[in-house]
Formats: sequence, structure tokens, C-alpha cells
Amino acid sequence: WQVSLAEKDRMPTHAGSLSPALHLRTPLLKKTSKSKAGSVPAASALPSANGARPARPGTARPGPEAPPNGPQQPGRLSLGGGGDFYDIAFKVMLVGDSGVGKTCLLVRFKDGAFLAGTFISTVGIDFRNKVLDVDGMKVKLQIWDTAGQERFRSVTHAYYRDAHALLLLFDVTNKASFDNIQAWLTEIQEYAQNDVVLMLLGNKVDSAQERVVKREDGEKLAKEYGLPYMETSAKTGVNVDLAFTAIAKELKQRIMKVPSEPHFRLHDYVKRQGRGPFCCQS
Amino acid sequence: VDPYGFERPEDFDYAAYDEFLTAYLAVLTRRALKWSRLLRADGGLSRTATVKRYVRKGIPLEHRARVWLAVSGAQARMEQNPSYYQQLLQGEGKPDLEEAIRTDLNRTFPDNVRFRKTAQPCLQKALFNVLLAYGLHNQGVGYCQGMNFIAGYLILITKSEEESFWLLDALIGRILPDYYSPAMLGLKIDQEVLAELVRMKLPAVAALLDGHGVLWTLVVSRWFICLFVDILPVETVLRIWDCLFNEGSKIIFRVALTLIKQHQAFILEAASVPDICDKFKQITSGSFVMECHTFMQKVFSEPGSLSMTTITRLRENCRVALLAQR
Repeated sequence: WQVSLAEKDRMPTHAGSLSPALHLRTPLLKKTSKSKAGSVPAASALPSANGARPARPGTARPGPEAPPNGPQQPGRLSLGGGGDFYDIAFKVMLVGDSGVGKTCLLVRFKDGAFLAGTFISTVGIDFRNKVLDVDGMKVKLQIWDTAGQERFRSVTHAYYRDAHALLLLFDVTNKASFDNIQAWLTEIQEYAQNDVVLMLLGNKVDSAQERVVKREDGEKLAKEYGLPYMETSAKTGVNVDLAFTAIAKELKQRIMKVPSEPHFRLHDYVKRQGRGPFCCQS
Repeated sequence: VDPYGFERPEDFDYAAYDEFLTAYLAVLTRRALKWSRLLRADGGLSRTATVKRYVRKGIPLEHRARVWLAVSGAQARMEQNPSYYQQLLQGEGKPDLEEAIRTDLNRTFPDNVRFRKTAQPCLQKALFNVLLAYGLHNQGVGYCQGMNFIAGYLILITKSEEESFWLLDALIGRILPDYYSPAMLGLKIDQEVLAELVRMKLPAVAALLDGHGVLWTLVVSRWFICLFVDILPVETVLRIWDCLFNEGSKIIFRVALTLIKQHQAFILEAASVPDICDKFKQITSGSFVMECHTFMQKVFSEPGSLSMTTITRLRENCRVALLAQR
């Protein structure tokens, strides 16, 4: 589907959270949305089929030119009620084995919280929104959280196609989740857009005692596929905001093409900003 | 904490719930009397028209396990295979299966006090055993996420591992199509069947989703996989399951269609994909679904006629279409 720049979420600021609140139908917002629906052309930041480059994972670089049906220049079209302001929206997907911490990472990013033992297994596919300020622009990330169990891939991979970015997670305390990264990359190669922004994350680095995948191993694998690599902890929050911010910056940079702005490089950014011993410094 | 051990959410509407419960308690009392009489008269519950009518009006909690076991055929299998469950658990382990199940133990009902590690007894152990035994029993399915929630409910209701195992076998082995096997073909088929039914009965909603290119998976996969657990209120889920065990998987379509039809105007306000997803989440809460007795009456009236012949034909068509896509 298309992400409309003028897409109007009739949701209050906690929109996209999973709370099944039923009090969202305020007449004002309803009216606003109806008046706009259909009158503004949908624009998408989704890379189109042009620029068909060889499908290989790790092409985390902007395409040579904006797709023909690319996003409009942001013009604050989306200022809307409910506090959900944004200039441009992107879809980000979280993928990786069951139990590596996808939902926890997302909740840490969204709400700044880590509540051990309150998460249920994600079944199917779910999403949360978060609006970030990236160099003065409001970037809305629509983050899709997926079930990690292998058999669910055939249910969720249909959504890869629409993702602008994928965060591929493994658990540094679980060797199998690391060994499965290649299988995930194959899946991504088959179903995602060729120029999807892709980042590898080693999660749960707070559990130093139980760690079985060394940082160098993560870095080596990431390098092999030309991916940026970061080590995160949803528990302590280390590098969580950074990972999502890096994605947002990369996506924004790709479509803005402001000549005066220096070219944004995801790899360099990640290296420069990565905190502590957890980030790649290769 | 509710009668099943679930903590009430912070924003729980006690006033609305009390109002509902006052009326529902009268229903429950009346039904309990009728069921006592029925069960005294009929030692072995057979699937008669009377039983069907009774089940649709709700099985009292104290008889629920017994009736589920009887009408689903689980009781008969359990009696034919007396020590089978124990043998499965004493047999050779399967590390991959155990690991997959263990990953979800802490992530099954963290909001239920009986599943806490500190609970005595802690139902996590029972959950592990039931899922492991089932995975060993049906190796074609093994363990699929979603089964943890179903087995969890079965354990809460039966308070017996062995009975939960045989009920899980009735559900996954006979009542439901192959939702949980690695290809999840049954799930994909039934999602398409629901889409077809919505196209037939609620074309405006179907047009909205089709227009936005929304795959039905996105909004309803959990309804099928979790059989409404953690989607609808507990009492409502149990009322649905009463019919599921007695009448089969058709009830899932009835519930889905009722939810969509009741909120058709609300859903049609959606102007984007996230909007649609959000609306589909919102229609599963509130007084309409909490008032389980009225809800179940609507489930059998609102969607209109829905014959098994139609379902079977649609399932076959969708199967052919899905296999052709591969």
C-alpha cells in the first residue's frame, strides 16, 4: 500500500500503541479526516520497481534517483489533530527469530520502558507508530512487529515488500538465533525491495554472563553482507534510540536530496554515534 | 483479579462490568439449574438438538470441562488410551521442540497470577508438559505459537494436564483445519474464506480492504490462530469455545462476521492501512463483546445463514487458488 503524506491518523498521541481503547472517535477528528480523504494524492516513499538492481542483502544505500511515484516534498501537509504531527512516514519491520526481543526493543523505543515479564509472544503481525524529530523534520516510523517462529514467515513475508527498512535482530545469548541470520537474509533478499535499508542488531547485550555470540562475530557477519551492525539492549536501552534514529535519518536523506546537505552515510553515523563497547568500531 | 486468575487492566470499566454481571448472573443461575437436570438425566452427553441449544446458551463453569470433553470426543479417546499422555512425557525428549516451547513460557499470560513463577502451583510447568506431549504426539505440527494461549486456557478450565492434552488434540487434530502445521495452509485458506464471506455479506468492508491492498492476514490472523484468546474478553472466548467444541470451526467465521458487521460503519471510516488495523483492534473491546450472552445470540443471528456446504465449497476454492499461486 501507499503511505500518504497527508495520511490522517485519527488517533491520539498514543496512536498505534496496542491499547484497545474505544474512546477514539471524536467528531472533530472524524470530520477532518473525511474532508481530506481522497483529496490529496497518495505519495509513497516506497522505492518502486525502477532502478532494478541485483537483489542482494546489504544494499543499504539510497537509490540513484527518487522513484517516479516517490514522496512529495514535505510541506507540513500532515499537521493534524491529536498531536500526531509528521512530515513524512516510513515503514520499518522488525524481523528475527522468536524470543530475540523484537517486541521489547520496539516498546523500549516507543515508550522508553522495559517491563520484564509483561510481554506475550507476538502472533502474526502487529504495529506501533513513533514520530521522531530528524534535523527539524517530523519523521513518522510505522514499525511492524512480526512473529519470529519460522512457520510464520510465510504469513508475514508478504509485508516485506512494503517495508522501507528492516531491522534484523538476533540474541547475543542465543547462538541459534545468530546462525539463523543467513536464512533471514535469504528471505529478505527474496521478498523485500532491493534497496530496503537493512541493519543487523545483536540484542540483549546486558546479559554479559550468558553471552555466546561475540561482538566480533556480529561485526564479521555484518561486514560480509555490507550491513551496519549495532549491539543493543532493550533492557538498558543502550543503542535502541540510535538504531531507529539512524534508520530514520537514512530514509529521510534518501528522499530529501537537498544538495547543500552533506551526504548521510548510515555506516559512518552508526560508527560515530555508537555508544560504549557495544557498537561496531571496525 | 478475575475468576480465572487474570489481572484486570488498569482501565477496566468496573461500572459497566458490574451492570452486565448483575444481569448475567441471573442467566447463569437459570442455565446452571437446567444443566444440572440435563446431566443427571443423560449420563453420556450426546450431540442432540437439546445439547446444541444448551451449549449455545453457555455451559456453566463447573460443567465446562466435562461437557467439552464429552462433545468433542476427547473423553472417549482419553479412555481408549489410558496412559498415553504419561508415556509421551516419559519418552525420548526433543530438544528443539522443548526450546521452542520454553521460549514462550514466560510470554504466556504474564497477566495471570496462576502462570507466575511464584504461583503455587505454577501452571507454567503444566503448560510445558501439555505442549511438549502434544508436539511429540503430532510431530507434523510440533509446536506453533498461539498453541500456548490455547493450551493455557484449557489448563485453566480443566485444571488437568491430561484433559487439556486430549482437548488440544480434539481442536488441532479434528475440529480445526491445519492452522498450525508449518505451511499454515489451513490458516491461509480460512483467512481467504473469511474474505470471501465478507465480500458476499459485507461488500463495503471488503471493498475498503481490497482498495487499500490490505491482506486479511494483517487483521485477522490472530483471530484464527489464538481462537480469540487475548483478543476478546475471557468469558466471551469461553462461550465461543463452548460452540467450537460442539459444532466445529464454523463458529469462528460467525464470530468474525458478527464483529465486522456490528462495526461496519466504524470500520468504513478508516482512511489508511494503519487506520484499518487499528479499527480491527478496537472492535474487539467494549461492551458489545463483554456482554457475552447477547453477543452469542448475535453471533447466531447477525451473519445470516451460513451453511457448512458453503464453508466447505469456499475452503475448497480457496485451497485451489492458494496452491495455484505457489
